[in-house]
Amino acid sequence: MSLVFTGIQKSYRDPSGKSFNVLGPMDLRVDTGEFLCLLGPTGCGKTTLLRILSGLEEPDSGNISLSSGRLGYVFQQGALFPWMTVEANVMFPLKATGVLESECRTRAAEILDLVGLHEFRKSFPHELSGGMQQRTALARGLVTEPDLLLLDEPFASLDTRTGINLQEMLRSICNRSSATVIFVTHNIEEAVFLADRIVVMGHRPGRIVRDELLDIKWPRNRLSSSFTEVLLSFRQTFEELVDPSVTLSS
Amino acid sequence: MDGLTPSRVKESGPWQKLSRILSGFILPALILALWYLLSDNTLLPGPGRALDVLSHPSRDLLSCGSLFWNTAVSLIRVLLGLFIAILLGTPLGFMMGASERFRRFSSVVTELARPLSPIALLPLSIIIFKDTSFTEVLGLDHLKYSRNILNELQVGMVFILAWGGVFPVILETMHGVRSVRKVYIEAARVLGAGRLFIFKHVLFPAALPDVFAGYRMAVGRCWMVIIAAEMLPGTNSGIGYLLRYSYQLSRLDVMLACILIIAVIGFIFSRGLEYAGEKWLILRSRER
Repeated sequence: MSLVFTGIQKSYRDPSGKSFNVLGPMDLRVDTGEFLCLLGPTGCGKTTLLRILSGLEEPDSGNISLSSGRLGYVFQQGALFPWMTVEANVMFPLKATGVLESECRTRAAEILDLVGLHEFRKSFPHELSGGMQQRTALARGLVTEPDLLLLDEPFASLDTRTGINLQEMLRSICNRSSATVIFVTHNIEEAVFLADRIVVMGHRPGRIVRDELLDIKWPRNRLSSSFTEVLLSFRQTFEELVDPSVTLSS
Repeated sequence: MDGLTPSRVKESGPWQKLSRILSGFILPALILALWYLLSDNTLLPGPGRALDVLSHPSRDLLSCGSLFWNTAVSLIRVLLGLFIAILLGTPLGFMMGASERFRRFSSVVTELARPLSPIALLPLSIIIFKDTSFTEVLGLDHLKYSRNILNELQVGMVFILAWGGVFPVILETMHGVRSVRKVYIEAARVLGAGRLFIFKHVLFPAALPDVFAGYRMAVGRCWMVIIAAEMLPGTNSGIGYLLRYSYQLSRLDVMLACILIIAVIGFIFSRGLEYAGEKWLILRSRER
């Protein structure tokens, strides 16, 4: 599914009633099957952009054109339904769209196998580790075989090793599908490992400061010179972006 | 999950178990002993005489029926009132929780009515409902002069019980709905769920622990209200009535027996519902 948006802009009012611009106006075009990482410091409007794309929020102005298709969404930690088992959580998007019970079960079983949670399907989220919870969240986002998959810092609360495992799992699943992926993160290494293309956003207002296709071969090795080179260059962009005086005041 | 959670009690031999169970009974035993020491045969009968009354639950007392009968009358009044309170309060609470407009619309009335003790409404409800019982409401007039539980279910009594129970149900339900985490609703929305589906599978289960807490509060309140209401004019049956009547006739052994029954039933209500709530695991959604 390809995706074009033009002139997207969003502002909020702070408690004193003053309106401030969090996003744009910005333009972006994402091609079908592309794995795009939106990289930016906290508060740069990347989550807002994702919420606009998913329809949770309306932009103040601008146009989004999406070819029609299924949407998958993976939230940060803590968005699983705690009163449902892992399996019921994963089946939720299918049931919500009226898929038959028996088909829900087979498809949930397939995706749970894929993320390695088959034997935990009857567990409840609070009985699982953080990594397993986010694997469940991934499965819930992927179970509908979405054409557009949106991920909002899904691994931000995990420890580094678990995060790396899940990045590898996500990327290998996405390689086998034709889904367009937009992955929001503030972790540079994560973005450089995952993405076909990285869009770096700056804040106040949210805007694009760098947009680049990555030319690192698969499978990516985090210790290879090409990887560290790209990582360093993005780190530099980041340093320039994050003016210390700005981060302190926010 | 039980295999994963380490047992909280380190040693659980039969003796430790027994001593843990017994430790809860030390205080009641002391109170019983104190009661025994303070009792005399004129003013305050000892525990033995109250127990004697309790051990014959189906014996007619003071010609107003047995302990069993009067307890049953009070219980059925409470359950009926509670049933109505739940039936009305739950949907109202959901509506007030879900709709800002409906909450504003009804808030003044609920805020005024809530602190108003149901007992304060007893005279009014007698004026409105007279002594109409459910026998008459259901048109079963031929039962009117026989001993039938329907004769003892006065509409006015049930009304004040429903009044007493409905506000905890409304307020806790509303609170439950309002405190459902926004991310659950949003997650459901982006995963493709419609409004009705979200209500049934997200909002309702997420609010359920609070709704259930409301029911528990309502049972407790109704049980307090019925005892007080039965001690006032408007009825001649029920455990509260027996309590007051035995006091008037100076049958303090019967009175003390009534007090014990009221306490034990109150205890069973609160503990039983707590246990049931955890047993059914609807309280799982507390993890939020």
